[in-house]
Amino acid sequence: MPTQDTAPQPRVLLTKSFIDSHDRAIATIALALRDAAMEVVLIDYEQPEDVVTVALQEDVDIIGLSFMSGGQVETTQKIIAELERRGVADLPVVVGGIIRPFDVAALEAVGVREIFRGGAALADVVATFARLSRAYRGLV
Amino acid sequence: MTTARYGLDAAALLETVRRGDPLAIARAITAIENRTVVGSELGLAVQELRGHCRTLGITGPPGAGKSSLINVLMGELLPRYRRIGVLTVDPSSPISGGAVLGDRVRMAAHSANPDVFIRSLATRGHLGGVTRTTRAVIDLLAAAGMDLVIVETVGTGQSEVEVAELTNVRIVVCAPGLGDEMQAIKAGVLEVADLLVVNKSDLPDADRTTAHLKAMLHHRGHEERRSVLQVSTLNRDGLPMLVDAIGARFAAPVERQLSVATREKSPRRNLADDVADLAAALVRESVDPRIDAIIGEMSRGALSRHDGILAVIRVLAERDVLPDAVRLDEAATG
Repeated sequence: MPTQDTAPQPRVLLTKSFIDSHDRAIATIALALRDAAMEVVLIDYEQPEDVVTVALQEDVDIIGLSFMSGGQVETTQKIIAELERRGVADLPVVVGGIIRPFDVAALEAVGVREIFRGGAALADVVATFARLSRAYRGLV
Repeated sequence: MTTARYGLDAAALLETVRRGDPLAIARAITAIENRTVVGSELGLAVQELRGHCRTLGITGPPGAGKSSLINVLMGELLPRYRRIGVLTVDPSSPISGGAVLGDRVRMAAHSANPDVFIRSLATRGHLGGVTRTTRAVIDLLAAAGMDLVIVETVGTGQSEVEVAELTNVRIVVCAPGLGDEMQAIKAGVLEVADLLVVNKSDLPDADRTTAHLKAMLHHRGHEERRSVLQVSTLNRDGLPMLVDAIGARFAAPVERQLSVATREKSPRRNLADDVADLAAALVRESVDPRIDAIIGEMSRGALSRHDGILAVIRVLAERDVLPDAVRLDEAATG
């Protein structure tokens, strides 16, 4: 396996529901990742399955889901099920926003790699995206 | 996973691309964009596989409504061109190298359509409105069976005209209220258009902007083949006329189509670019331990840059640099 001198730039998909108008958090994360030299695709999804279609077409290394209203567990379950159905079960998913204490067990059970709540340090968020992206590319 | 993602050999990847597999297409584009050896080989192989695919370029200033226009146009174009690929280019940060790719947020209506493949590309420092590898990515989408590829440039100023070299028909999207007759007669992006589209015709200044552009075309008399159309992506006004105009431009014989001065590079320049790309990919990926040794000697100062270059060329010349080349040719014809 040839080793690449310069690692390819991480490609990230950040998304929230088109119904959810709270875009302050997702925009903040997008800018932090951009400033950390990542290529960030931003979409608002209509159906959870659309997220997977976009992730495949964009060949991203990690998906970040933002929730500021409802659907934290159900939507995440649907997206991860669709990832499995389309043969990319190992594509890492992280979740951020309003995550209630009783959501955590269910999100972890379905395979969410990391949960970021309000107040999470941006440096930690960036480092986690970078680490999971590199691991997915087999660069660790 | 490592091998499945980046170690896939070019011939196997091309075969799945030709079957239209979306993940294979996406990973092939990544390889081309990252300018790996596999990407370089793929870029060469797909040049021969373009088939009947048409290409449509969409350019214009930031905020003119390029992405929104593509979104509504696709609804009208899909019945005519069964499978459509869209490449949307956004700028990379000159500070960090990162990018926010936000064009496809306007194209959500087509997310679930299996006949539509949308890919966001970051310029990664390339000027000219598109990316360095856009031509190869267009060819790849054509090889994957797309009937139409739409290329949306970054928001352009006056001189980002490279998309004209890459596409059969070009649309410049103009927003109402920018500039006057003087802007309209300047050289640059307006010249490479086949169709000048004034978007946001629901706004009050649209008629004036349209009049400026029409006046500019009027100066050119009978030689002029560009035309000006008004649309509103908001109200979906003017779309059928635009779709007919695009179809007519595609149908026009090649000699009647606009010729761009730089469209055909000389064979010598093409070869020079191809040699440089492949050699660079081979060096970056350290395909040979002797290359690592040369780099070591250069960093110790034992070898000059000039001698280092020559030494690398000698190493590459000795190697069977393209073991996949034969199989790729077979995949192309088979």
